Amino acid sequence: MSITVRFKFARKGPVRYLGHLDMLRYFQKAVMRSGIPAKYTEGFHPHQIMSFAYPLGVAMETEGDYMDLELTEEIPAEELSRALNDVMNEGIWICGAARLPEKALNAMASVAAADYEIHVDGTDTEKLRGILMTAVVNMMQEKILLLGKPQEEATSSADHRKKGGKKEKKAKDIRPGILSLTVDDQEPVIKMRLLSGSALNVRPADVFSLLAERVTEDTITASRIVRKEIYGERNGEYVPLLCLGADA
Amino acid sequence: MDFSERKLALSHEILMQVEKPSQYTGGELNSVMKKADQVKVRFAMCFPDIYEIGMSHLGMQILYGLMNTYEDVWCERVFSPWKDLDAIMRRDHIPLFALESQDPVKGFDFLGMTLQYEMCYANILQVLDLAGIAFHAEDREEDDPIVIGGGPCVYNTEPIAEFFDMFYIGEGEVMYRRLFDLYEECKEKGISRHDFLRRAAQIEGIYVPSLYDVEYKEDGTLKSMLPKYDDIPVKVRKVLVQDMDGSFYPEKPVVPFIRAAQDRAVLEVQRGCIRGCRFCQAGQIYKPVRERSVDTLMKHAEAILQNTGYEEISLSSLSTSDHSGLKQLLEELIGECNRRKINISLPSLRIDAFSLDVMNKVQDVKKNSLTFAPEAGSQRMRNVINKGLTQDDILNGATLAFKGGWNKVKLYFMLGLPFEQEEDVRAIAELCNEIAKVYYETVPKDQRNGRVQITASSSFFVPKPFTAFQWAPMDTMEHFLDKASLCKRSVREQLNQKSITYHYHEAGTTIIEGIFARGDRRVAAAIEWAYRDGALFDAWTEQFSYERWIKAFEECGVDYENYIFRERGEDELFPWDYVDCGVRKEWLLNEWRRARAEVTTSNCRDKCSGCGCASYQCGICVKKR
Repeated sequence: MSITVRFKFARKGPVRYLGHLDMLRYFQKAVMRSGIPAKYTEGFHPHQIMSFAYPLGVAMETEGDYMDLELTEEIPAEELSRALNDVMNEGIWICGAARLPEKALNAMASVAAADYEIHVDGTDTEKLRGILMTAVVNMMQEKILLLGKPQEEATSSADHRKKGGKKEKKAKDIRPGILSLTVDDQEPVIKMRLLSGSALNVRPADVFSLLAERVTEDTITASRIVRKEIYGERNGEYVPLLCLGADA
Repeated sequence: MDFSERKLALSHEILMQVEKPSQYTGGELNSVMKKADQVKVRFAMCFPDIYEIGMSHLGMQILYGLMNTYEDVWCERVFSPWKDLDAIMRRDHIPLFALESQDPVKGFDFLGMTLQYEMCYANILQVLDLAGIAFHAEDREEDDPIVIGGGPCVYNTEPIAEFFDMFYIGEGEVMYRRLFDLYEECKEKGISRHDFLRRAAQIEGIYVPSLYDVEYKEDGTLKSMLPKYDDIPVKVRKVLVQDMDGSFYPEKPVVPFIRAAQDRAVLEVQRGCIRGCRFCQAGQIYKPVRERSVDTLMKHAEAILQNTGYEEISLSSLSTSDHSGLKQLLEELIGECNRRKINISLPSLRIDAFSLDVMNKVQDVKKNSLTFAPEAGSQRMRNVINKGLTQDDILNGATLAFKGGWNKVKLYFMLGLPFEQEEDVRAIAELCNEIAKVYYETVPKDQRNGRVQITASSSFFVPKPFTAFQWAPMDTMEHFLDKASLCKRSVREQLNQKSITYHYHEAGTTIIEGIFARGDRRVAAAIEWAYRDGALFDAWTEQFSYERWIKAFEECGVDYENYIFRERGEDELFPWDYVDCGVRKEWLLNEWRRARAEVTTSNCRDKCSGCGCASYQCGICVKKR
């Protein structure tokens, strides 16, 4: 019987400039320091059996990301969280943990949607909010939101190889992937829930760039994107990934 | 202090434009935050290369840890910004900053640079340039940081002497406390920069280049180098740690977020080397050998693993096989690491039954290769260089290893050693062939896992100060390349040539390194010229331009050939003779003569050869043999 625990974690501050692989290495070391009885693979180079729900892009903050870890013995979730938080660097912390049911999907396979906040740069809060609200309302009325180059402009396949094998992106409609899009009622912050599955995966930066195109009176920039929560799907409802563990 | 609130020197927009932004943001595990207004000395410790290289350097971790144990001192780290950020910093006038506080380096009390290899010399100027500090010590303002250099390159500081206010000759653990005490006293009393430097020069191990007058002879060699004042020493004596068990060791090293070149815990088992290879500078300047006890090492190992979470540990020293307690250490370490699920990364050990047994326990035989460093192909040459490794040692080691299942062998050689003949070059290929032959004779056909794979690589030899070969002429580029192609051809002529791969290193870097290694103060102008012409990160092959450096010497009228291509006279005064590293010049000269006569010298464990280091009264010099 395997014992897998799901951890919910947050990061903010300078540490947000880490890439995904560095976060992975960071957590492996943190688990080592914490003394949590992690399960290891066999062989000359044993390693922990650890997986993440959704790679965090460079500079993205999070309040709700997930990491699954296999253990060799059952330990209360609160104790595990405390053990890890005792050895964390400032800027990264564990906000919760839950043992996964035996047949649970791994974190990555469970991801269906995610919530984000984009903090728009600027000092004139009210003016910015006004601009954003107009753009958001207009954008959500559009039936199709094409992202990337329209197909007819795409170059021939022979040219792709010259450019080092990178494929030109086909234009895709991300409108069905934007489940909600609003502006905070206090701050110039855009809030959204986006589909994050294998069929359609929408990134917050893409939504922001489409939105920015629709702002005519000003150029808007954003230096903070925060992932608020990641959801799995259960009976047609979006459920935070931690709950997929806890309810079992 | 909460790191998440820490301000950053670079804006979000800039961080998103550069490679690996987190190398510039600090805040790593075990990095030390203090309050700037609550310390008296702010020390910026710089490794003048990129973060991933610098953070792999043990010496920096030792000094960082040690200095931060001092309550009145805050030591922070600085690395060379990579070219992408370098361009942005120049464009936007962003001054070079330290990682912890993100404050500009120019406001610090000290800027220390650890000089680990000559090819970082252009980077020294980049650091000064971006920090906004004058290149020449004489042009600096009262409030500028004191620029201090340390590391192995200080055994000939002269090509970079004018860029530094002072150098620290020897091991960092010893004298910094005294230097800081003096600095604080001078600061309180309002004593000038110049007078502080003059007082500092009286601390053992501190060399202040501006306090010496240098004269040259007409033939270009050094005529004299004498202190300007009576209270400044004629010779600066290296300082070293006498008791390794009692010395500071960083049990809480900073753990980089991004993967550094050395992504593991490091245990320094000893300092110095008993071997006395005649080409090796480290073997001389770190004398005498001083071991850490197994108990101390195990205590450090456990603490470091606990405090870092590293999943791998390695042993570090010049020659780990020579540690007298190695067997016990490895037994205990393997036990501890198995318990903690930690990998042990072994250093290259002398191949014998014991080391093969250890490797078998901690490595996958099929994947790992066996390493030999014969350095030279023929026994005659190995006698010249005093490499106490015979062909029998190598072949016997290989036989044992092949029986144990290994089938990959790596061999390291040097080309261009003094007194080298064509047959010595050919002997490299012949030795490789012999090893392959041993494999086919030892391992029956049905047990072979394909062909044996022998990889030989050769670097070109650079004569270094404080070695027996400091008098030796260096080969020219043409000679180097001829020898490399002779070696390549010889490999192809061998019966087992299909089992042998041969590589050789780049020759251009070697020539420039040779000039820096034995040059004098006149080289500095060329370093400055080359830097202004774009030289940077010369240790990175793709960044290095041989033509630029040669042009720099020519433009600046530096007779670079005179530093490297001639045999130096036995009575010649060298630019580095002002350093007293314990090893006497007469002893080295005798070693130079013995090399010519192909006579070997015993290692420190077998018999003292009277090099002079016994004056330090520590380590193997005072141990019963």
